[in-house]
Amino acid sequence: MRPLLLIFCVAGTTAVYTYAQSAMEVPGIGAIVDSLGSLRPVQGVAGSFLLGPASVMGVLSAACSEQMCLVKTDSKILSATGETDAPTGPALFGMSGDEALVFFPKVRTFARWHNDVLDPLDWEIDGEILSIRATQIAVRKDSEVSVVSSDDATIDSITDASGPVLLLPKGVVFATSDEVVLRQDDAEVRFSLAGAESITAMGPRYAAIRAGDAIYALRTDPGREGLYRLPGSAP
Amino acid sequence: MTRTILLALLLPLAARAQIALFTVNNGAEAQIVDGASLNMGKVAAGDTVSVRIRVKNIGTSPANITYFFVDGLGYTLNRPSLPFPIVPGIPQDVLLSFSESTPAPLYPANLRITSDTNSSVSAFVTATVVVGPVLTVFPVCTGSNGPPASIDFGLVQAGQVRQCNFSLRNPGTQDMTIATFKVANVTGAAFQISMGPSAPFTIPAGGAITFVVNFTPNTATSYTGSLAIETRTYVLTGAGFDTPLPTPLIEFDSGFFESAQQRLLTMRLPTAASSSASGFVNLAFLPDTTLVTDDPAVVFLVTGTRSLPFSVTKGSTLISIGGQTSAAFQTGTTSGQIRFTLSGISTAGDATTTLTIPPLSISIETAAATRRTGDLDIQVTGFDNTYLAGVMTFTFSDLSGNTLPPIHADFTQDFRTFFTRTKAGSMFQVRVSFPVTGDPSGIGSVEVQLSNSAGVQTQHLNFQ
Repeated sequence: MRPLLLIFCVAGTTAVYTYAQSAMEVPGIGAIVDSLGSLRPVQGVAGSFLLGPASVMGVLSAACSEQMCLVKTDSKILSATGETDAPTGPALFGMSGDEALVFFPKVRTFARWHNDVLDPLDWEIDGEILSIRATQIAVRKDSEVSVVSSDDATIDSITDASGPVLLLPKGVVFATSDEVVLRQDDAEVRFSLAGAESITAMGPRYAAIRAGDAIYALRTDPGREGLYRLPGSAP
Repeated sequence: MTRTILLALLLPLAARAQIALFTVNNGAEAQIVDGASLNMGKVAAGDTVSVRIRVKNIGTSPANITYFFVDGLGYTLNRPSLPFPIVPGIPQDVLLSFSESTPAPLYPANLRITSDTNSSVSAFVTATVVVGPVLTVFPVCTGSNGPPASIDFGLVQAGQVRQCNFSLRNPGTQDMTIATFKVANVTGAAFQISMGPSAPFTIPAGGAITFVVNFTPNTATSYTGSLAIETRTYVLTGAGFDTPLPTPLIEFDSGFFESAQQRLLTMRLPTAASSSASGFVNLAFLPDTTLVTDDPAVVFLVTGTRSLPFSVTKGSTLISIGGQTSAAFQTGTTSGQIRFTLSGISTAGDATTTLTIPPLSISIETAAATRRTGDLDIQVTGFDNTYLAGVMTFTFSDLSGNTLPPIHADFTQDFRTFFTRTKAGSMFQVRVSFPVTGDPSGIGSVEVQLSNSAGVQTQHLNFQ
């Protein structure tokens, strides 16, 4: 932006130039699946959201991380770089860098997604699979929710979780009958919200919570947690 | 021989029976037998009474009507020009009317129709002209002699009653018996006789009676009815209208208003609604800046739009917005005014309510500092509701905490271009890159100052 006029030296070896460049864009938060099964980008800042136009139709599941978004249609997994055949029905995604673990509830199988390739995994986990994080799985058995390893060994339990669960990199979001609970870093924040039906990874800092006709955005940044409603998410 | 004679006798009979006449009353036919009498009843002097006559060809071959007249004082026949064809299965309606101004007990006439097939029907028609009662309607209702004669009750608030006073006078020299005296409604029961005699009753010569008809509309719509008095029928008209609602109070959840909030709007009435009503609550945004004309994030959340229906039920002060007790909306990322208005409804006063969203110093949502080979990157996400961002100061420090002289940068024009291009409010994600030489790992942190017209926002970042 500015011609180099000054050079500031640090420790005699490093110079920081006053030549600064800027790049600007509308902040992206992630993506949701709307009530019509369309993938909608979400932009904005906490408390002021914009829903973008539908980009993919016939979406059953979607999840986004800092690096990428994965979209499940009836028989494929779509990414920004391509698509791959997949078992029919919805999917649970556990994003990790540029890879993801995927669970297909309809056929109860796990797989690893990377570079638009799906490698089956021979994991066998009893119970209702709720969420995946790296090699950890949140599973509901006999109304109790646990976090188990890929060999079905119990690692932790999630008390109070009677509704959907989303494992975060360093925490968990789950729903009770009338609340959404965010636990991370040994802290817990509760938000009043009845009837949560699903919780998915909207983006690196937000979870999408569907409750009835509405879709909510839960900000998960430690210390800046907040629950917001997304505009225009009613059918 | 016998067979031939029989046919010859029958032929004239068959020919005479080819044309038939019927009276039609409310769709019901009654045949007028040849030679029969047709009484058109009593008619008030100067009034007109009419009877619909239907002509049918009940034979098997077409015929032409060559004669069709009524001869008698006061009678007219409204029919097609002669001759006109009449074919089997396709009737022809005509109108027989009578009107005279002189009272008399009998006005006779002959009605006759003849076809070119020598079929004919005749009827003896009678009517009586009597002195009719004179109806007077008093304000606020108004009357018209028509035709048709009518009485208008005007506009009446739904649920309220308008009473119309009438006088019915006998102008004759003999007592007058009123056998027909009733009100009928096309829909509902808005028109009712509330005070007056019941038929039959007598009005003495030169005397009068009074009566009252109430008009009580239930809803805001037009009403029609009729008032039948002897030989006359008056059309009754009136219309209901909704009462203006007491001016609704537009209220919000408590707390200071600023950008990037999701707030609740509620509406209520200061007094109970006298009738059920519905309309729309709308919001509009007026930005302080001239750089943009709107902020698309300022919407009602339930629909993502700027208008929601509302309704209130009679007797209630609670207003339902989109079927809910409240409506959430976003305040956006632009300083200015959010104006709430009502439409589609009549209110006693203007319910417009305006919220002011004040200018803020730049709000930082996230910020990060990262090193790349040859560059130091600083990424900031936030919003500038003044649209005047751009002046930045970066103060780098080494790992020991020694600070370098601050670096000033002015990206004002870049921000202006960005804001006007994206039309997404003032939200932004900016990455500022600084070229470096040597090992950037020696840079430990940076203090970023972002300025706008409302103040300076400072963020300390450690390089990752």
